[in-house]
Amino acid sequence: MNNNDDQAAGRANILVVDDTRANLRLLSGILSEQDYLVRPVPDGQLALSAVKAEAPDLILLDIMMPGLSGYEVCKQLKEDKLTRDIPVIFISAKNEIMDKVKAFSLGGVDYITKPFQTEEVVARVRTHLTLRQLQTSLEEKNRTLSETLEELKTAQNQLVLREKMAALGQLIAGIAHEINTPLGAIRASISNILNALSSSICQLPELFQQLSPERQTDFFLLIKAALEKVELPSSKKARKLRRILRKDLEKQGVEEPDTIASTLVNMGIWENIPDFISLLREENNTFILQTAYNLFVQQNNSRNIVIAVDRASKIVLALKHYTRHDDSGRMMGASVSDGIDVVLTLYHNRLKRGIDIIRKYEDTPNILCYPDELNQVWTNLIHNSVYAMNGSGELRITVSEKDGQVLVRISDSGTGIPENIRHRIFEPFFTTKPPGEGSGLGLDIVRKIIERHHGEIDVESSPGRTTFSVFLPILTEPSENDDVMRNA
Amino acid sequence: MRDFGISDIFDRLRYRAGQAHLSKGKTPIMLKKAILCVDDEEIILTSLRDQLQNHFGTRYMYEFAESADEALDIIGELYDEDVEILIIVSDWLMPNMKGDEFLIRVHEQFPGIVKVLLTGHADEAAIKRAEKYANLHRCLYKPWSEEDLIETLTSGLERNL
Repeated sequence: MNNNDDQAAGRANILVVDDTRANLRLLSGILSEQDYLVRPVPDGQLALSAVKAEAPDLILLDIMMPGLSGYEVCKQLKEDKLTRDIPVIFISAKNEIMDKVKAFSLGGVDYITKPFQTEEVVARVRTHLTLRQLQTSLEEKNRTLSETLEELKTAQNQLVLREKMAALGQLIAGIAHEINTPLGAIRASISNILNALSSSICQLPELFQQLSPERQTDFFLLIKAALEKVELPSSKKARKLRRILRKDLEKQGVEEPDTIASTLVNMGIWENIPDFISLLREENNTFILQTAYNLFVQQNNSRNIVIAVDRASKIVLALKHYTRHDDSGRMMGASVSDGIDVVLTLYHNRLKRGIDIIRKYEDTPNILCYPDELNQVWTNLIHNSVYAMNGSGELRITVSEKDGQVLVRISDSGTGIPENIRHRIFEPFFTTKPPGEGSGLGLDIVRKIIERHHGEIDVESSPGRTTFSVFLPILTEPSENDDVMRNA
Repeated sequence: MRDFGISDIFDRLRYRAGQAHLSKGKTPIMLKKAILCVDDEEIILTSLRDQLQNHFGTRYMYEFAESADEALDIIGELYDEDVEILIIVSDWLMPNMKGDEFLIRVHEQFPGIVKVLLTGHADEAAIKRAEKYANLHRCLYKPWSEEDLIETLTSGLERNL
């Protein structure tokens, strides 16, 4: 604090109150000499008006005055919120201990006894002005700090929201893919069916003119075998089978072994080849197989459509469940394991390769909860697990009932959480992910949601096995408190 | 971390390419031509297969892979068998390695292969990357129309000539 600067900016304003004119003049003179702005007033009533008109930085107040005494003036100043912080120095000839005690108890900051020393008055005034300035600047700083704190809280709320939106955005990207994939398959399958159908209409009469009754029987056996095949080989297995079959057909004197082998494998036929060998040895074998294949295409692509429709409706249903909540903001009964399955469905894309999911769900009663929020918990914990396993490993999820609680354990075979940071993982903004990848709010939100459900979360971790345990009480009725919190 | 597998394959390919030049007996004659489709969804691969066969018949070999890793294996195998890959049609959102990364890797070794993305969702940045570093021919979106697919492949094949 630099006094010179302060005085340059605005000289300290001091109100001097004394009914003795000589004292008033003397004090005013001393203080004016110190370059303070001095306002002398001769009685208590005028003092109060002067303070109201313009609040001084400090008041020098005589005690014994006609009309309002100094004590009375001080009392009134201290009762008013606007004036109570102005420091009051009593200045009086009364020199009894009790007077001083009363002066201080009324809120005076100091007490100067008449007759006074000039230096003493100047020193005390300066001290209290400095104290007052320090106090003011401290108040200012406190105000700034609490404003900053408010801003931080707002920023944190925005971050929480952004985290939620980011999770949603990620989910939507995945879902767009998850829905468009079956749609793509459906559209392509329909065009395949139509093409195959119009080809079949032309091919079939021609084929039956060419085939002997015996070969016609073989042809139908081939179609039957293809249509009855439930599982078709993976692309990798198909390549291997094609190669083996091609050699085999070549050995048996079948023409165009490449095309024939690849068509047969596409139809799921690589066994019982001797049954069809006469048919395959026919001169027009590629035409025969092409015709058979067109029939198979119609069935197989129809099957694709069924799979695709199931997939798309599963996603839509999962989405509906994911955001399930009561509009009035009340808790509602829901199955914990159903919620987890919804999240797993929406996470299908992230999980389907590289991660083995082992689910062990016991029958647990429905619990009163906010289903959408619990889904956010499962999403977060599963997301963390997948991240910790770097995309491959074992994700084990168990749901059981224990001491009136539903216990959910989510374990991964990932790198584990080092001992020295384990106690910090639930702290807001704590993250081990590289900048830009995590807000550090995920587990903070998880913990808050679980607390709102009066539950607990726990973590055990060692390299290769990290388990988050969530305990949720099986509540019977929602408490008023929850609604208040939810709506807040 | 996944790079080990990929660079392994490429090392093998480079080695083979070197051998092919050095060895007197074998000159790489590419006779058969192939179209390779990569998608982690079987229903997509089978419906693509029938569309390709319906339009291009036996003119090309059609190969299918359910992941980028498997596709890289197939690229290696086909190279061994002197099969020339003309076009790769790849999904974008696949586990482990995404389509743009996969096509860029392929482009480093086989700039001549025409690359097409066929995807239900791809972020703009990924497509930009594929255009810049893999000379992406086109990005098709699921659900695609047969006309668009065939037109894309036909124009890609012409570009390859």
